[in-house]
Amino acid sequence: MSENILLKAENLSKLYQMGEVTVAAVKNVDIEITKGEFAVILGPSGSGKSTLLNILGGMDQPTEGNVLMNGESIIGFNDKKLTAYRRDKVGFVFQFYNLMGTLTARENVELATEICKDALDIDEVLETVGLGDRKDHFPAQMSGGEQQRVAIARAVAKNADLLLCDEPTGALDFETGIKILGLLRDINKKYNKTVVIITHNVPIGEMADRVIKMRSGEIIEITENSNPIDPERIVW
Amino acid sequence: MKKLDKRLLRTIRQSKGQFISLTIVVIVALIVYVSFSMVADQLYNSIYQYYEETNFAHIFVDVNRVPGNVVDDLLSIDGVEDVQGRVVSDVPLRVEDPNEKVNVRIVSVPSNEDQINSLFVLEGEELHPGTRTTSVLQQFYIGREMNIGDTLTPFIGGTEYSLEVVAEVGSPEYIYLMENEQSLLPDLKGFGVLYVPEEFAQSALGFQGSYNNIVVTIDESQESRIDIIADDIEDRLERFGIRSIVTRDDHLSHSVMIQEVDSLKLMSQSMTIIFLLVASVVISIMLSRIVKKDRIGIGVLKGLGYGNRQILMHYVKYSIAIGLTGSVIGILFSIPISSMLVDLYVQYMNIPLFKSVIDNNYLIYGTLLTTAFCVTAGFFGARSVLKISPADAMRPETPRSGKKMWIESFQGFWSRVTFSWKMVLRNISRTKRRVFFLVLGIALTYAVTMVPVFMSTIWDTLFEMQYSQMQKMDYSIEFTRPLDTGAIPELQKLTRIDYIEPKVELPFELTDGWRKEIVNVIGVQRDTRMYGFRTPSGRQIELPQKGIVLTDILARQLRAEAGDIIEINSVLPGVSDKTIEVKAVVEQYFGKNAYMDIDQMYEILEEKNIATGALALTDWNIAQDLRDVKNISAINTSQDMRDSMEEYTDLIIASMGALTLFGGVLGFAIVYNITIVSISERIMEFSSLRVLGFDKKDIFRLVTRENALMTVFGLILGMPLGYSMCKGIVDSVSTDMYTLPAIIDPYVYFYSAVATVIFVLVAQYATYKKIRNLNFIDALKNRIS
Repeated sequence: MSENILLKAENLSKLYQMGEVTVAAVKNVDIEITKGEFAVILGPSGSGKSTLLNILGGMDQPTEGNVLMNGESIIGFNDKKLTAYRRDKVGFVFQFYNLMGTLTARENVELATEICKDALDIDEVLETVGLGDRKDHFPAQMSGGEQQRVAIARAVAKNADLLLCDEPTGALDFETGIKILGLLRDINKKYNKTVVIITHNVPIGEMADRVIKMRSGEIIEITENSNPIDPERIVW
Repeated sequence: MKKLDKRLLRTIRQSKGQFISLTIVVIVALIVYVSFSMVADQLYNSIYQYYEETNFAHIFVDVNRVPGNVVDDLLSIDGVEDVQGRVVSDVPLRVEDPNEKVNVRIVSVPSNEDQINSLFVLEGEELHPGTRTTSVLQQFYIGREMNIGDTLTPFIGGTEYSLEVVAEVGSPEYIYLMENEQSLLPDLKGFGVLYVPEEFAQSALGFQGSYNNIVVTIDESQESRIDIIADDIEDRLERFGIRSIVTRDDHLSHSVMIQEVDSLKLMSQSMTIIFLLVASVVISIMLSRIVKKDRIGIGVLKGLGYGNRQILMHYVKYSIAIGLTGSVIGILFSIPISSMLVDLYVQYMNIPLFKSVIDNNYLIYGTLLTTAFCVTAGFFGARSVLKISPADAMRPETPRSGKKMWIESFQGFWSRVTFSWKMVLRNISRTKRRVFFLVLGIALTYAVTMVPVFMSTIWDTLFEMQYSQMQKMDYSIEFTRPLDTGAIPELQKLTRIDYIEPKVELPFELTDGWRKEIVNVIGVQRDTRMYGFRTPSGRQIELPQKGIVLTDILARQLRAEAGDIIEINSVLPGVSDKTIEVKAVVEQYFGKNAYMDIDQMYEILEEKNIATGALALTDWNIAQDLRDVKNISAINTSQDMRDSMEEYTDLIIASMGALTLFGGVLGFAIVYNITIVSISERIMEFSSLRVLGFDKKDIFRLVTRENALMTVFGLILGMPLGYSMCKGIVDSVSTDMYTLPAIIDPYVYFYSAVATVIFVLVAQYATYKKIRNLNFIDALKNRIS
């Protein structure tokens, strides 16, 4: 089992000092993500899931605890190593897509792949996300769903092992949201990528291999889902 | 092309107004730097090359009369390489219009080959000994539209001589041609130099076998000893009556040329620094804004695995692009501009070897300099990239804390301020650093604009001060030799003179400690109506009965002040050396002189009732009536100077116009960029106002009010700044020969303010267009970086 673990968090805490009060955004979290897994971290707003995701993705440092990627601790990495970690090991998908407005869809993907060693074929990835004929459009010329597809293509094309998605459907309407989830599931299968989605949207958990529930910075429940449903059957 | 670079190019295209305006500032900086430096160097080199080719003298001596063998004996002085005696005399030239006063300097040319100050023949042939021929100095030749073969008729010692023009020549001695130190500007029609064979000059001027002028060259290795050598020469010639002894450094034409080189260099450095500093500060403000606005984008880039250095460089490249584009265009422009400048110099100065040469070093230095400034500004502006943590970047920024301003505690006042003015005042108080720079930028624009406006009035002021307040005579009549004062009333009989006074103007050597200067000391009546003496503090004073009054330039050189006892030695033979008290220092803008009561002068000269000239008040053109009068060598009037001034008006207008334009470029770049930064920073605020029902005009009015307030502050700050700049320029161009008055007419302040407001308005219009085209509603929901 242990050699199958891609990412492991041990006793992770993140504390913020707000004046005289110390607020714990993440408290003593232990978590293991296995290779090829589709995991969903569920929790209401303020439960610490985004903070946890940022720490796992090397975007933020914990106050305490350890994060191991393929058995190697990323805590204590200097800036250069942390950058390399984000570049080669992780792909991010954000709620608000966060594309570069002055670059076309294809160029936004290239922006990510240019600095990677084993990037996937951009056109093929864009075909996969369904944007084969929209790749020369600028973000402002695209719908929200299309922009999120570009963001997913950008994360996938890097050929990183782990895809971290922060509320990927948060800014989308229901139908588009479902399509994006389907896309993430396909990518999980097709490219054998580990996908971690964080969301406050409970029904999304039904498509995951594992659901990790959080509240007030702590993990309150981890559920194995032996029979994940097809995203198209999700309703919210 | 790397995608980040592509993004950069598109960002530049989106902010092209800012990019172009900043690039223009860099272009101006580079043009000024490259072209002025190249011209300065080229001017310097060609002057010295010219000196080399024509064997230009190191020491110039005016004596009353010295035999040829004494001149040759000077060769025995250690360090002297060669000597040459000359006969030099200023005489009137007969021209067609009897009302036109033209003086020429007759200069003898020996027949030997190795001459000092040899002539550079531009057209025609060399002088033939034994003929009545003349080579004419280029400026005068052109100024009076002469041709080879023309006949000139100088009036020498009461006789008209006909001389055939055989050549147009240049001389290192008269690159900048002025009649004397009191002339401010060359008068190319009214004064010229005629070179004649030595034996003709000697016989016509009565100097057979003798000379009244000696030029000396010294060994290259002994140049540092030039003052000692000059002293040795002075000792040898003392008994022959030295009228002046001048080393090359103090030579009129040479010092004007070197000053020109220095002021070009000063200009190339100071203007470049001002422009690059402004560009750097604006670039840095703009980039820090772009980085702030791009916070999420930077977070994403970091999330994608871009390192700090890569992201920082992405933004720094914006400023590098400005630096490089500015450099390339600047270089392209600076080459033709420097050759235009050279043409201008060729037209007004006369160095036959002067031509435009491109010095690649300056192109490289210029590019390095501008790039260095821009890169530094880029790093400074974009350095906050390093501080942005990718996780923080994803969270919305905390709103800026707002608190009451001190002005709000004045309830009575604050409650009367309208809502939109409250917003204006609050915004100013919240962005203090940017407001400070905007005010400073407007102040700088005002100051830079004020300099040319001031300079264009300075000549009028100068003439007013020198010729209306200090020297009040209409004419100054010079005698060929000292005459009895009884001759003065005789003059009044020959022409219409309302009032006339005698004067004694003679060269003296004044010594204070180890400093000494040979200057003309002028003796006039104590109750003179011809001079208005004023101390530098502006107090009017009268000539003292005893003692001497020094002009400020002379006092500075001698380091003398009122109360000092100085030595006064006549250069005339047979007059004993004396000491005299400095009673006062007075202001005189050009020429260095000393003044005393004429009776005190007689005491020093041990002679009474003589005059070397007369000063007259009249509206009548007396030059015509007196032109054939024996014993009169020259009749000078301030009107001649005013006329010669006209010749230079075009040159002054052109250079001052260019400076004003530079000021405009600066003003536009500052106001436009800062306003654009301010708008983009407040886009959310404006969008909310739009939602509340403000229209685009209301928002534009808001920005305009802010800028108007800033402009008022900028103008207020600009006035002292402009005054200091004008004062600095005046001080830096003041020479041993003249000082410029730092008297600034109220109109100068007014016109500079008008020009500055126009520059601000132009920038304001560009801002208006920007506001009109902004989609405020989109801005409210935009998450694309």
